[in-house]
Amino acid sequence: MKRRFFPAAALVLALSLSFSCLAHLRKAKQYYAEAQDHARAFRTEPAVASWKKALEEADRECRRKPSAQAFTIKGLAETNLGRWRDAEASFLKAFSLGFDEGEAWAADTALVGLAASFEELGLEAPALRIYGQLVDKSDFKPALMTAAEKRTNLVLARAVGLDAEEKARTLAGLNKALDRLLDRDYACGLYHYLHAQVDGHLGDLRRSYEEAVMARELGLPWEKILRDNDNQLVYCYVKLKEALPAGEGEAFAAAHAGWTKKWGWRDDRTPAWKKE
Amino acid sequence: MSKKGVEAALGRGVDILNEFLPLKSWLFFPILYSACVWAVRRVFDYRERILAWQVWLDPEFVRIKPDDFVLHFFATHEALGREYADELAAHDLRVLRAAFPALYPLFGFEDAFLKALFKAEIESADYRGIVVEFASRTGKARDDIQPAAANPDFWKALELIGMEAASLGLHLLKDDDVQNMIIALVKEPAGARSAIPPDA
Repeated sequence: MKRRFFPAAALVLALSLSFSCLAHLRKAKQYYAEAQDHARAFRTEPAVASWKKALEEADRECRRKPSAQAFTIKGLAETNLGRWRDAEASFLKAFSLGFDEGEAWAADTALVGLAASFEELGLEAPALRIYGQLVDKSDFKPALMTAAEKRTNLVLARAVGLDAEEKARTLAGLNKALDRLLDRDYACGLYHYLHAQVDGHLGDLRRSYEEAVMARELGLPWEKILRDNDNQLVYCYVKLKEALPAGEGEAFAAAHAGWTKKWGWRDDRTPAWKKE
Repeated sequence: MSKKGVEAALGRGVDILNEFLPLKSWLFFPILYSACVWAVRRVFDYRERILAWQVWLDPEFVRIKPDDFVLHFFATHEALGREYADELAAHDLRVLRAAFPALYPLFGFEDAFLKALFKAEIESADYRGIVVEFASRTGKARDDIQPAAANPDFWKALELIGMEAASLGLHLLKDDDVQNMIIALVKEPAGARSAIPPDA
């Protein structure tokens, strides 16, 4: 009786252990997917909560049954939580367990962490060089998006103090870098938003308006940026309408009315979130 | 719609805030008013919505705006355009840029919490007062709300109050009426309010 019971018990134990391991990985993936959904809908707080849960589950999985997949999810959750150093270690582990891209992702997350440290210490020049390097070379989207935003903001802040000619040259260079990013990933709303901001500084309001429309249509990662993008749209719309000849101005206003209707604005200058 | 019912629900909201934020009654109006705004819109992720104003305070975000955007912001806002008419006429960007980080989050993003936090200044059109007070008041708000914000029960209680007020017809009241109602309740001594809902 005992002899028959032991193999069955061992089988049940093995199955339950493997199911529990599988459950951690599955839960980690599920929480991570939930977090991404929340983040897309600008629900930052629940997104952060889900990334934390994904991290906990992935961490358990990594301790019980280390695998490239578990460390990759752990690293991705850490990236979204801004824990760049931890993410670097996780991606390196994933690489050692067979995830080929892990090494490059680890290098990129390490660089973002380093640049952020420089920025915190007020050392903008080395931070800018690192962000520039990432914008040119990185294939890891979270690092790339962070670097693109940070670099654009730092260059725009520096451009304020420059004379007109140098400012135009600096901003043209910035736009070239953003154009290269758009060549690689035209569907990223954040790059279009950043382009619209730079175009606004250059006084190219037509292009700024077009980029802001594309950013609105493709989606933006944070509500703060979404609202600022809407304000940029209104600013460009008002300025362009004033500047365009009558016929062209009317056609532009009609096109703008089409977009704002689609976005649920109250009128041509009032996004739905206004007048809270 | 029961105006008294809404008032009673908001009164209980003030009592709850008193428990979670003792001696911080200056925060009751912005918190409760934001909760009402989101309740009317049937958006119940209060924690995220009410704390959103903290995100608008990013200095990097506002310092990079082009001069023309800053000028346009002041010129197209009726009240700000009046207040800063001289600076606008003189293109005095030093003053306008200094005021922009305080006024853009309020009037550019229309944040309910921030608008309630500076209600007195907005009503008296003291926009320069907002600029002077902005950093210290928002910093104090952030510090004072922190202990309650970390408590999930605080947000649950606030959600229940918002939902109750919404179910009683909060959306049918004028925005100004809701604001005045909350202000009157906050000023009222705690013991003077009935703890029992009027329809009970």
